[in-house]
Amino acid sequence: MKRSHLIGIVLIAVAIGVIISTYADTSTYADFTRAAETGDEIHVVGTLAPDKPLIYDPIKDPNYFAFYMEDEKGVECKVVFNGTKPQDFERSEQIVLVGKMKGTEFHASKILMKCPSKYTEDQIEVQEFSAKANG
Amino acid sequence: MDIQYIGEHLLPGKLGQFFVALAFGAALLSAIGYYFSTVRDREDDSWRKIARWAFRVHSLAVIGIGACLYFIIYNHYFEYHYAWAHSSTELPTHYIISCFWEGQEGSFLLWGFWQGVIGNILIWKARSWEDGVMTFVSLSQVFIASMLLGVEILGQRIGSSPFILLREAIQAPIFQRADYLTFITDGNGLNPLLQNYWMVIHPPTLFAGFATMVVPFAYALAGVWTRRYSEWVKPGLPWALASVMILGAGIIMGSFWAYEALSFGGFWAWDPVENASLLPWLLMIAAVHVLVVYKNTGHAYATALILSISGYILVLYASFLTRSGILGEASVHSFTDLGMSGQLVLYLLFFTALAAWLLVRHWKHFPITAKEEQTYSREFWLFIGTLVMVVSCFQILAFTSIPVWNALFGTDVAPPTDPISTYNKWQLPFAAVVAILSGLAQYLKYKRTDPKKFYAKLWKAFAVSIVLAAAFIYITEVYENLAYIFLVLTCTFMVVSNADILLSVFQGKTKLAGAAVAHIGFGIMLIGALVAASQSKVISINTQGFDYGEQMDAQSTRENILLIQGEPVQMGEYRVTYLSDSVAGPNTFFRVNYQRIDRKTGKVREEFDLYPYGQANEKMRSFLANPDTRHYLLHDIYTHVSLVPAKQEQHEDHPGHSEDEEYTNVFTRTLSLGDTVQATPAVIQVNGLKRDVDLKNISLNEGDIAVALDLEVRSGDKQYSAAPVFLIKNNAIFDIADKIDDLGLKFRFTKIIPEQDQFELVVMQKPVQMGGWIVMKAIMFPYINLLWGGSILMVIGFLLAIVRRAKEIKPSS
Repeated sequence: MKRSHLIGIVLIAVAIGVIISTYADTSTYADFTRAAETGDEIHVVGTLAPDKPLIYDPIKDPNYFAFYMEDEKGVECKVVFNGTKPQDFERSEQIVLVGKMKGTEFHASKILMKCPSKYTEDQIEVQEFSAKANG
Repeated sequence: MDIQYIGEHLLPGKLGQFFVALAFGAALLSAIGYYFSTVRDREDDSWRKIARWAFRVHSLAVIGIGACLYFIIYNHYFEYHYAWAHSSTELPTHYIISCFWEGQEGSFLLWGFWQGVIGNILIWKARSWEDGVMTFVSLSQVFIASMLLGVEILGQRIGSSPFILLREAIQAPIFQRADYLTFITDGNGLNPLLQNYWMVIHPPTLFAGFATMVVPFAYALAGVWTRRYSEWVKPGLPWALASVMILGAGIIMGSFWAYEALSFGGFWAWDPVENASLLPWLLMIAAVHVLVVYKNTGHAYATALILSISGYILVLYASFLTRSGILGEASVHSFTDLGMSGQLVLYLLFFTALAAWLLVRHWKHFPITAKEEQTYSREFWLFIGTLVMVVSCFQILAFTSIPVWNALFGTDVAPPTDPISTYNKWQLPFAAVVAILSGLAQYLKYKRTDPKKFYAKLWKAFAVSIVLAAAFIYITEVYENLAYIFLVLTCTFMVVSNADILLSVFQGKTKLAGAAVAHIGFGIMLIGALVAASQSKVISINTQGFDYGEQMDAQSTRENILLIQGEPVQMGEYRVTYLSDSVAGPNTFFRVNYQRIDRKTGKVREEFDLYPYGQANEKMRSFLANPDTRHYLLHDIYTHVSLVPAKQEQHEDHPGHSEDEEYTNVFTRTLSLGDTVQATPAVIQVNGLKRDVDLKNISLNEGDIAVALDLEVRSGDKQYSAAPVFLIKNNAIFDIADKIDDLGLKFRFTKIIPEQDQFELVVMQKPVQMGGWIVMKAIMFPYINLLWGGSILMVIGFLLAIVRRAKEIKPSS
């Protein structure tokens, strides 16, 4: 066998590995019920539950922020985020959480929120907040 | 009925729109001219003359568009949507230029401008290549100009004009009024994140890099088209080097901007938009290496050709990703959709199909060798290295394109929950292999190398690398992760072996300088990125005010610290105090004092202030944090505010509001002497009673009583005292309150209970949220200067290589 063929085969193998891992490493969009069943780290899409408090007292603990979110199926769940309350959180139209269920609470490691854009009314802007620093 | 609007300035817009149409038409004419000049008789240069003039007219029209747009923004003509959406009257003049790239139209203009500049250089310098190469460049300009057209053809809107009027862009009842402009006094303003000096030079550099990518693409295709299959490599190579140099510099500036101006706490986050700019760069780096291989040995022709073409294809793909809105929630900073996705896809598919068609038609004529490379030859290992870079590029492409797969196949796959570690997991081994190969290949000769000599040199370099790497790993403490150790070792080897080559440069082989310097720079850059990212430490770990208990494991994520004004907090080796805030323009600066105190002597060894700031956009009630960084030679202290108290509305005093309203937290305590009261942030102690009360203008008569409470208030290191007064005058009870403004506390002495020797004290507290604190995050980045320094070295290396390769063209053509 020619060496170039061998290299070609190795490359194809790595490429297949990449593709498989693309699917292995991706997450899924799900709801709180799924999150409770699987216990995996997943994305949950929803909106801020109306008439429920946002719990954030920086004097007590600047890294504890809790709120209630309603997922797309209408299931409400308490969400805990170990970080500061994102600015403008109250005005978010849609929230995407990354995290997992712990007991009855959803522990979010990342909050993505869609706000009405600050700059033009006809645009939508996305903001991202992460509890951990990106190195 | 048409409304006669008052106060509009329609001339600059009309003129601008004319320039847009002219730019489009002239580019089209130029492309047609160059096409016929290429396929027709070489003796007759009339088509070329037409094409040249058309391209020059096109370039002037592009400049004209820019001038009109600048005029509109500079004069605050908010009747234009672009000026209204992206600028405001408050905007400093030097940031007006940044308005150009906040909107899509402006950034297309920038891209078209650079391709215009490059086209003119090619007309001037490309000689026999002008016709073929410029056909593709002009064609590309046709597409870019079409993005600005903003005309409707057969019900389909083509492009988006920057000169569209506000009343045309937005439907609102206000536009029924002829004098609507008197109500629109200001624009929406420029995104505060773009009001940064790095944002003035990063986008132009990046777009200059994107624009330069068209040249290797055009040379490769022109070579195939005109059947000069191998000749294009020589003149194409310096352009390929120029594109990686400029794009590389642009990417680094972007990451420096992210580090200096964004508060995500890092310099690279594998964001889809960042990846989109990295993809063409990686691929073109690979192309440069195989181009050199082909030029020297005749091997790897097809790879060199395809990669040179793919760089530009990836630029088009990147612009589709970032401009079509497809990234949606996957990216923080992509453009929003302007309804031009179809046009962008067409642009991408047109050039991909054109290139593919030319390649397939001419494939059988390509000078592809059947010979195999020798194992001990430079070309073989360069080729392998190139393929590794292509696979690395493929991995980034596959992951970044997840939203595209979703759109194509109707799936709903979410991106990885932790993209950084997903990318690092793949890219780290690729980088290590590339680093080894780039060192290895330097000791190999083209065609054939004597293995004995090769191994002798290799072992020497390897031994030196191990010693250096071990020392570096020990100092920087990266030994916890095997993969990190491996990368440091391989990158050190890359630096050492290339430094070895650089030594021979000083002995006269100056040709090799470019590659050696660029490789050294790249190696240092990788080491710097690895150490700064992996060893960065959040030093603002919060340990106060919260009972960790069972949640101890969550400590690693508690990265924000609360600083109350004037109260020092120990943070790592620094004693940090938030001193004050000051407002300058739209920014609020928070002065945070750092003191490094010697543990033994207690003396302050170092003291400095950092001013992380935030920009409050009052109109939109939002707040954007900007970091401030203390730079040292070997590390940086990076801080930004995560949260600040909402700015209190300054309400004027008016009847019906008493001062006491501000004190929202009020409680009453019955106390004896010596008791203490907790009132965060202070402890109040009752020391005693004072009878000699200074009542100023109140005179006491017989039978009147005045007693003061002697209160001692401690907050942190500071001590205050207060003396509220209890007063009985003419048989009526009064009290005179005392307050400590620093702490937002007010005291009233309201009752004496003689039977129990007790008193009643009312403590009134202003909510602390109303001011006097910030929540801050601080990160220490070690050795980050290696990253920046390495990048600068790399750019210098590219520059040297360009000079060398440009010199090589002259003799032949």
